Amino acid sequence: MKLKAIVLAMMTLSALTLAGCGSDGEKGATGATGATGADGSNGQDGTDGRDYTAANEWFMAGQDAVTKASGNSISDSAGKAKNIILFVGDGMGISTLTAARIYQGQQQGKSGEENRLSFETFPYSGLVKTYSANQQTPDSAPTMTAIVTGVKTKDGIISVSDAAVRDQCSTSTGHEVMTALELAEIAGMSTGIISTARLTHATPAATYAHSVERNWEADSDMPQAALDAGCKDIASQLIDFPYGDGPEVAMGGGRTYFMPNTETDPEYGRAGRRNDGRDLTTEWTSKYSDGAYVWNRAQFMSVDTNSVKHLLGLFENSHMQYEADRVNGDGAGEPSLAEMTSRALDMLKQNDSGYFLMVEGGRIDHAHHAGNAARALEDTVALSDAVRVAIEKADKDTLILVTADHSHVFTIAGYPVRGNPILGLVRGVDASGAAATTYSTDSNGMPYTTLGYANGPGFGFGSAAVNTDSNRPDLNLYAVTDVDYRQEATVPLGSETHAGEDVAVYAKGPGAQLVTGSVEQNMLFHVMNYAANLVGRAEAAQN
Amino acid sequence: MKILPMLLLLCPALVSATEFCPDARPTDAWGVSYQLSGDKQGTLLLLRQQAQTAFYNPQNQIAEWWRFDNPKHPQFSRVFGEAKRRIDYYAGDLRTLGVRVSQAEIESFTSEHLRQVLTKVPQSSCTTAEAYEGEYQQVHYQLLWSTTLGLPLVLETEVGGKVSRWQAQQLLTNDTVKQQLQQWQRYQRTDFADVGDNDQDPFLAKMINQGFVEHSEHAAYDSHGHPLGNHGH
Repeated sequence: MKLKAIVLAMMTLSALTLAGCGSDGEKGATGATGATGADGSNGQDGTDGRDYTAANEWFMAGQDAVTKASGNSISDSAGKAKNIILFVGDGMGISTLTAARIYQGQQQGKSGEENRLSFETFPYSGLVKTYSANQQTPDSAPTMTAIVTGVKTKDGIISVSDAAVRDQCSTSTGHEVMTALELAEIAGMSTGIISTARLTHATPAATYAHSVERNWEADSDMPQAALDAGCKDIASQLIDFPYGDGPEVAMGGGRTYFMPNTETDPEYGRAGRRNDGRDLTTEWTSKYSDGAYVWNRAQFMSVDTNSVKHLLGLFENSHMQYEADRVNGDGAGEPSLAEMTSRALDMLKQNDSGYFLMVEGGRIDHAHHAGNAARALEDTVALSDAVRVAIEKADKDTLILVTADHSHVFTIAGYPVRGNPILGLVRGVDASGAAATTYSTDSNGMPYTTLGYANGPGFGFGSAAVNTDSNRPDLNLYAVTDVDYRQEATVPLGSETHAGEDVAVYAKGPGAQLVTGSVEQNMLFHVMNYAANLVGRAEAAQN
Repeated sequence: MKILPMLLLLCPALVSATEFCPDARPTDAWGVSYQLSGDKQGTLLLLRQQAQTAFYNPQNQIAEWWRFDNPKHPQFSRVFGEAKRRIDYYAGDLRTLGVRVSQAEIESFTSEHLRQVLTKVPQSSCTTAEAYEGEYQQVHYQLLWSTTLGLPLVLETEVGGKVSRWQAQQLLTNDTVKQQLQQWQRYQRTDFADVGDNDQDPFLAKMINQGFVEHSEHAAYDSHGHPLGNHGH
């Protein structure tokens, strides 16, 4: 009987496929009724082996997933979400997600492929087109602008529309576009910005700043003409934030961008980057009487989240440490992305009007640029851990989105046996389908790794002598699973590049059902706006 | 017994270096000018100021600049004098590039380990120097080590018949070194982690296309005898 059910399902699929072959927008004519099929013989459980559906775990798991999904008939009304949490993995393309999923699973002693990152359990997901207003493959500035403002702009530009010209201060006037975080502040919600990159880096900056040049992070980075024309550096815009009562939480790296050049960094002893004499860290505590500034993990852990209402944390002079180096590689100590997310939610949840929180895993991108997959995967897992914290702490009236700004030219290739170490050399399967006894090899007889890059600094391994015989290094001689190993690249570049294909978006909570199919990146703002009625709440708060 | 005549033959080359034989280590900021000959030609300046050490090639105006103010967080910059630009590498960046850093090895131009594996040989002209010679990891070395400066006065390597020789020529003054380091401090700087996001910057685009961390300019050697600056796969 169950065999018949499978056949029926296949016929249905076939019919759907045929229907899809009709001309665009027209329903095809109904075909002639086919001959009556013969009734298949009934399988006998455990006897003839044909009734395998009852015992096959793949079949049962798939069936279970569909059963659960069939219960999803949600149609949330506008404004149903009280809170929004937006997670962005910088450079977290789909191949990164797949590899990180396997990496995390293997770290837990499993095969890996069956593992799911925390957000992969979300009920809704889709694909996001990431091109910017002027480039097929974008950088983080226009992509995050699209996510938090609802408009696409040109590369290098932060929360200013594409009417502006990069690096031309005068072109920004009148073209600044309102961000979700600004709307939330106007609406009386609490807001937070968290990143493992510098807080002034393009992705976090797009939530609170407007700049025609992503590199104008401190005034010393700006040309005099731009300063004279009235453009403001990004760090100062966080402190001078004009809406609502200002962001309640701002945590990440980039300390020296907030310090004057007359002061030295408490951890490294190097001078600050500000030429204007402003110490933005002290300005934060002056501006917010209930505010605090911390720069290491011990200070961070001692913050009383009941009494501190505005928290600025700057844990590195530039980007924070990679997750792989965070515990042993940092003298002063830094909180993890999950710890920052947890404390931020403790603070933000105290506002009955709701909150908007953006959390960025900012260093996935940097590890990929360096051609170092292990660190990119570690930071992706760290983002997954932070999302898990949010799932546990956020109330049901919270829309949680997890997405990426863009992808990287990162590949998972070859035909490795299931459970093969994701950072390791490819070991395929033999004729019987079991693990092969030797590594797979290229046309030169040399082994290769599953993970690689289409371009980047991993080409040919420089001047290593092993490169001369085969035009590829002999990876038998290298510790390819080491965290410091740099994967091979096809095209030699000093820095690996972004990629232009779609990224994923996962959604949970009120309004999540809007996240489906293939969408433009700027649509994500509109999802958040619909779900939480940001514009409506902001307008109401102004009346 | 057979090795003795060969060592004696080597001695004249090392002795000639003792024309520059400092008997005291300068304080504060100082440096040493090296003349490169053989497979690599030109001049190399080693600059020192407290926890800072830089290797500067005045011909192409490229420098490698290390700061060990916080020894757990060595900071490295590659300086491009012609463009007045600087690329800053933080500890995490160096790890992603597989660069393992030893302050002692950077500051002494070569590793203590190298001296340990080479054979000490007699030399007479410079009383504040020790001579070493020998083979290590397919490289033949001759080293004249200044015990006052903690630096080589001569470092000669031979690999596959190619000989490269670094020979100290003179000390650099306090002002020369300080001015140079202060000048680099004012250059426009970019974090290495951010280079990949800036392909529209003509200078950085050039760096992205050409690469710029692969080959060490100064040929200092790590504790394994590998040139510092090589990435560690």
